[in-house]
Amino acid sequence: MTNADIAAGYAPLFMPQTVAVVGASTKGAALPNHFIRRIREYGYAGDIYPIHPSAAEIDGLRAYPNLGATPKPIDYAYIAVSAAQIPPMLSAAAGRVRFAQVISSGFAEVDEGKDLQANLLSAARAGGMRLLGPNCLGIYTPRGRITFTEISPPEVGPVGVVSQSGGLGTDIIRRGLNRGVKFSGLVTVGNCADLTPSDMLEFYLADAQTKVIGFYIETAKDARRLFEMLRDAKARKPVVLLKGGRTRQGVAAAASHTGSLAGDDRAWIALSRQTGCVLVDTLDEFIDTLLVFQTLTPQPLHPTRRVVLFGNGGGTSVLATDCFARLGLDVTPFNQPALDALAVLRLPPGTSITNPVDCPVSTLQQDDGRVAEKILDEIYAKGKPEALVMHLNMSAFVGRTKPEILDNLVQAALRVQTHYPGQAHFVLVLRSDGEPRLEARKREFRDRAVALGIPVYDEMSNAGRALAALQAHERFLHTRG
Amino acid sequence: MNDAADMIADAKRHGRAALDESAGKRLLATFGISVPKSVVVADARGATEALKQLHPPYVVKLISPDILHKSDAGGVKVNLKESSEVVNAIAEMAAAPHIKSARIDGYLIEEMAPPGQEIVIGAVRDPDFGPLVMVGLGGIFVEILADVAFRICPITRLDAEEMLAELKGGAILDGARGKRPVSRAAIVDSLIKIAGEDGLLMRHGDDFSEADINPLIVSEAGAVAVDARFILS
Repeated sequence: MTNADIAAGYAPLFMPQTVAVVGASTKGAALPNHFIRRIREYGYAGDIYPIHPSAAEIDGLRAYPNLGATPKPIDYAYIAVSAAQIPPMLSAAAGRVRFAQVISSGFAEVDEGKDLQANLLSAARAGGMRLLGPNCLGIYTPRGRITFTEISPPEVGPVGVVSQSGGLGTDIIRRGLNRGVKFSGLVTVGNCADLTPSDMLEFYLADAQTKVIGFYIETAKDARRLFEMLRDAKARKPVVLLKGGRTRQGVAAAASHTGSLAGDDRAWIALSRQTGCVLVDTLDEFIDTLLVFQTLTPQPLHPTRRVVLFGNGGGTSVLATDCFARLGLDVTPFNQPALDALAVLRLPPGTSITNPVDCPVSTLQQDDGRVAEKILDEIYAKGKPEALVMHLNMSAFVGRTKPEILDNLVQAALRVQTHYPGQAHFVLVLRSDGEPRLEARKREFRDRAVALGIPVYDEMSNAGRALAALQAHERFLHTRG
Repeated sequence: MNDAADMIADAKRHGRAALDESAGKRLLATFGISVPKSVVVADARGATEALKQLHPPYVVKLISPDILHKSDAGGVKVNLKESSEVVNAIAEMAAAPHIKSARIDGYLIEEMAPPGQEIVIGAVRDPDFGPLVMVGLGGIFVEILADVAFRICPITRLDAEEMLAELKGGAILDGARGKRPVSRAAIVDSLIKIAGEDGLLMRHGDDFSEADINPLIVSEAGAVAVDARFILS
């Protein structure tokens, strides 16, 4: 199958023209009623068919008694009724449903639901549809104007996510929104009775809209297929993997050294080394890493190693240098030609021109940021960094500078970037202290920076980890590309 | 590879939990891993005649399905130079307290491998991913420090090289504390024979829950599997 074939196969899920909703109540208070409201608010323009055994109308829409009775075949069915009711409903669909997502729980996540899940799967097969879930929350697909969360960013972006947890899927969308991550889709797959993370991987790899792929996985039933698919993809799209349940004891009774050494974790670490996917430990690191791949173009020819830190805050620079060094990034002082070039600029006292470059606010704001531009230009020309991290401690700017100084600094950095295309990744760290007005200003400024394609982080350690992930990806492409 | 399949089938048919050492080494040899030249004898009486095929020094090892840790039970004698020493070693083993009551399938007499760096190559069957391969430096590096690297099978040469690069104690391979460097290529070759696309684990990985080649002795020139354990699934 070509990529176009694979993507076309999933089009009814990601861009449905007809949506059936099972479980909406005439009183308008059930979860499926919220789903109807949310997709209408989100701008879904296709047909919506509430399915109800007796009602003629739900939420102002004409209702139909079953999945076989709708005027047109159904691209996507959202199903949230009690578990036992669902299998007969699906098997009666007679090939008229393309994708059904079963939100309801009470299946294989509990022992007594295992048989019911097997019935659900056979019913989906008999009814001729693909099944998502059960025990999940839904799909967020901005290109199709379908969503399951109350706050749904409208932009169609490059980040495709698969989450085995619905709640965490919501967190990923909401935190991602606030950090500048833009999604091509987010699918919650729950118990994975039919469609699995590797099926979704196959779609995202084929989907032209998706440039970066993120997974939250707890148990991968078809782990072997996932491994082979990732291996064969050779990291042509960056894949970020947040794996839950990594500390579980692997083999309980091991009869050899190898057995006792092979915890569950080992296989996932091996997978990341062999396939180039980036394994992360926390939700925040997951989002930080998705953001770095969304915004920066990997440079396999010269993997990121040499980093220049530039900003205000001496202690911050020192701590960041330690942190970056531990992550395998190189923040060593400039060579003599670079130092000589910076010395010619005759910067004010208190400015440290080795790497890290520590500039007090007075230097940064000099000449509306033009001095900073000269410094950066010399750094790029002589210091030859592979990444430049600009860090601004926003509280130090308060009351001392014009509001536009932050913009001026970022614009200066972007101008220098354009003079040295493809040389260095540019990353911005906006440090704040939680004071509400400062946070508001930071949020506004972050949005502007992200709109310019700059990844913005809250702290140096976040930026360091994101750059280390980028480095790992670049190195994988460097050795295997 | 019918030999290998037959050997595995035979062990299963006899209800064995593992391949005995001799069978394990024949399996390795089928896949091109060097093993010491050896003979198996039923008892001390056959030893002198059998030794004519081998060069000293010798090692004698007990073959018994009942004894998992044969060195602890007194079932291993090394550095034997004369055939009389081999005969005595077998007689002593047969009389040892833990061995007397065990089922004895015979005694494996081997040429003793020349010294080198001890490496462990292991395998474990992961319920989700299938066979995994492991490498580590022998002794405390594996047993105490857990300084090992795992990969999912099959692996490439680059994967194997990266596994060695991942070991914290890997510098030992390049010669440390006055020792001579050993052949990384020989370890990589062994890993590929075990875990590569056409390796042992890709052919027979489903038959084994776990396996250890411990140690694989690596010198400047090559690698020899000195002990091997294959636990049947």
